Amino acid sequence: MKSLLVLLLLVIFNFTLVQAQTKISGVLKSTKGTPVTNANILLKNTYDGTSTDSLGRFTFSTMELGVQTLQFSALNFETDSVRLDLQSNDVILNLKMKPSINLLETVSISAGYMNTGDGKKGAVLTALDIATTAGSDADVFTAQQTLPGAQTSFSESGLFVRGGSASETKTYFDGMLLKNPFNATVPDQASRGRLSAFLFKGTSFSAGGYSAQYGQALSSALILESTDLPKKTTTGISVLSVGGGIDQNIRFKNSALSIGAAYYNLAPTYRVTKQQNNFIKAPEQISGSIQYKHKTSETGMFKFYATYGETTLALYQDNIDLPAVPRYFSNDNNNIYINSTYKEFLNSRWKLDAGFSFNKDKDGGSLSADLYSRTDKLTNGKITFTNYFGKLSNLKFGAETFHTGRTEGMNGLTRGYDDQISSAFVETDLFLTENLVLRVGARGEYSSYLEKYNLAPRTSLGLKTGTNAQVSFAYGRFYQNPEDEYLILKRLDFEVADHYILKYEINTADQNFRIEGYYKDYNHLTKENGGTHDNSGTGYARGVELFWKDKKTIKNGNYYISYSFLDTKRNFRDFPTLATPSFAAKHTASVVYKQFFEALQTQAGATYTFASGRPYLNPNNAVYLGDRTKSFNSLSLTFSHLTTVFKQFAVLYLNANNVTGFNNVYGYAYSQDGLSRRATLPSSKRSLVVGILLTIGDNTFVR
Amino acid sequence: MKNLTNSLLLLLVVFGFSSYAQTGQSKYEMGVKKGLQMVGAAQTADDYLKTSNYFERIAQVETKEWLPPYYAAYGNLHAGLSTNNKVLQDQYFDLALVQIADAETRDAENSEIYALKGYIQFMKMSVDPQSRLSMIGDATASLARAETLNPENPRIYLINGQNTFYTPEAFGGGKKKAKPILENAVAKFAIFKPATEIVPAWGAARAKALLAQCN
Repeated sequence: MKSLLVLLLLVIFNFTLVQAQTKISGVLKSTKGTPVTNANILLKNTYDGTSTDSLGRFTFSTMELGVQTLQFSALNFETDSVRLDLQSNDVILNLKMKPSINLLETVSISAGYMNTGDGKKGAVLTALDIATTAGSDADVFTAQQTLPGAQTSFSESGLFVRGGSASETKTYFDGMLLKNPFNATVPDQASRGRLSAFLFKGTSFSAGGYSAQYGQALSSALILESTDLPKKTTTGISVLSVGGGIDQNIRFKNSALSIGAAYYNLAPTYRVTKQQNNFIKAPEQISGSIQYKHKTSETGMFKFYATYGETTLALYQDNIDLPAVPRYFSNDNNNIYINSTYKEFLNSRWKLDAGFSFNKDKDGGSLSADLYSRTDKLTNGKITFTNYFGKLSNLKFGAETFHTGRTEGMNGLTRGYDDQISSAFVETDLFLTENLVLRVGARGEYSSYLEKYNLAPRTSLGLKTGTNAQVSFAYGRFYQNPEDEYLILKRLDFEVADHYILKYEINTADQNFRIEGYYKDYNHLTKENGGTHDNSGTGYARGVELFWKDKKTIKNGNYYISYSFLDTKRNFRDFPTLATPSFAAKHTASVVYKQFFEALQTQAGATYTFASGRPYLNPNNAVYLGDRTKSFNSLSLTFSHLTTVFKQFAVLYLNANNVTGFNNVYGYAYSQDGLSRRATLPSSKRSLVVGILLTIGDNTFVR
Repeated sequence: MKNLTNSLLLLLVVFGFSSYAQTGQSKYEMGVKKGLQMVGAAQTADDYLKTSNYFERIAQVETKEWLPPYYAAYGNLHAGLSTNNKVLQDQYFDLALVQIADAETRDAENSEIYALKGYIQFMKMSVDPQSRLSMIGDATASLARAETLNPENPRIYLINGQNTFYTPEAFGGGKKKAKPILENAVAKFAIFKPATEIVPAWGAARAKALLAQCN
């Protein structure tokens, strides 16, 4: 009988299960009241649920009873849920959900930074961007000169940014200061960057107002971020008209080793293109590098990079004072650079960044009849902790130490100096809302050589004014040690600059517009005062810059236009008065255009650069630096033809600078009597590099 | 009487249990099958998003099965392919990548998962090829992994052929290069027998259609 009862119960129970259907329906809207479409509505741990329609409506049935969780999720919204007690009565719901934070649409720290590309906070120019920029010859530094804020320069190495001298732009390799990023010095010529653009996944360029993480830079920071693990084991071979290189990437499961060697010799090129200087020995360079990267965990990465290079060159330079006795100059340079970094998330809220770098650069040779030598060195150690809090905010703090110095010798006599700079920094990016971010930070430094402290406040504000528009403001104080050539003579004081920046930008997926205005106040610049040096120099710079990039209008093509207006005056170095320095052109504009021709398998690029005349010192003019050169014009072209050679992927590369042959003059050097002068010209009027880049072991172009 | 009742009870219990067992198994199988019918009928991005939602609902119950997140990813991939809005495409493909990663955690050694992953990665690249060229490498690596795990999976060759088909000749692609890969795909589809009714079986028609365009 009992069994019969069980049977009966079982049947009834089965019956009720079929019967107890509950209809759940309703509308899902955002907290702003707009319907949420294609949201997923579900009862947790059941198959039951549905998607909302175009009006945010939903209806579904369930046989579940009792307390259930109804979850709703949708793209760009935060998943939410409600508890329902289902008693087989129909349920009608009015649901609201919060929009989630879309990083691309969130306000960002932007003043002073160039955001031209994809990753809003990431790379500005990728290695490929740099290599395909006509006129850059794949040089990291030359490519940046097409961006607003930077001057064109061909007679001195480095980036001249917003009225700052080249020494005021510092280069950071994975956050570590790189003291000598340039190849061996040639008088009155800009040298290429030593590091290949292809070492980096991105370079970002800040023309001011940068983070407290970066010290010892008065005007600008060039931030280079190295690539992560290569995807495959490959061999790369490059043969160029100026030399060549070979490298081997070996990929292991969680690590990779790369070994490379390169040889460059400009002699063949110099035989073809007439050089300004009379080279006895054209620059010849041999270098090697080793790189090891290890992915220590899902979030951890260890990187080690070391390179060594030797360069030799010798030349005669015209002597305006004694034309019969040209000046002899030779340089045997060697350079070693080591950079090692480690980063890891200690937990979901804390991140550790640690780094070490060492750089030693030695020049030596003859200067007319004198023997000279010069050794620059820098050891840099840095540790940074980042704490992430709230949804987007973070707090960074860290400490950094630089051991820097120079030794120089002339005919057996030597002198030198050593400095230990200790610094600490703290900075927070505080997202008050998704549309308003405030960065507040400070950096303090102590120099053992100068025996002085400094404290630099930095702040930056970003306010989103529309879906794609943002206004930014930044103020910061920046300190830098005087240049080595002065420090070696005397203990001086920190040079200081205050930056005020205001920026408006509109960014869409494929178009960017920005306008930025700034004012910079320079103080304590190094100045020669009656044969000795002090920090009485001052100056200012102000300007407006425009940038427009368009990847949309032209199929398979893109272009950008940048324009910089610069008004600057300084009284520093040996200036007798406030004057515009010779490296500052009032108007600079660049148009960079790239087009891919599918049928020809060719990427072509053209860069046109204009700069108004630069001041030069004419001893016959009573006004100091009162003369102006004529304007600078240059049109450069580049072609990369993609093909296969011996069944291996290959790129045929050509870059031609100043194809139309504009006669450009950087300035003039006068004889002591002021009667004759010599123009400072580009090393050659035109220049051409051709070559082939082969990739073995990969069937795609990208390594 | 008691015997009869007992027998009846036993019968009912056995029947009920077996039918329960069957529904337990078929609830999942039937669920996936129903979803596959939705996928078959889907035409617009919205349709595909709904299939993706549907498979996500199954995925949160059947936490050990790789097919629900696989098909959820498949739905988002096709939603992205059915829209011209690049911002949306990016979002759909990103979601698809998250879902295929979920499938990967459920079955780390499955050729089908890496094949689909290679497909999504390639499409993610093609939203903005100029700045995402390096993602070709990711796609190639996923497809290579899929091939190691099961070289008989025809979808690897379809996706590989399709990626090659849409890659400019200059970058190692083009119709000429895609043709032999797609021929291989069609040949593999001809002998491919899905293990069950619910495992991935899509792609044969697409492979033929693409191959026809190569000629």
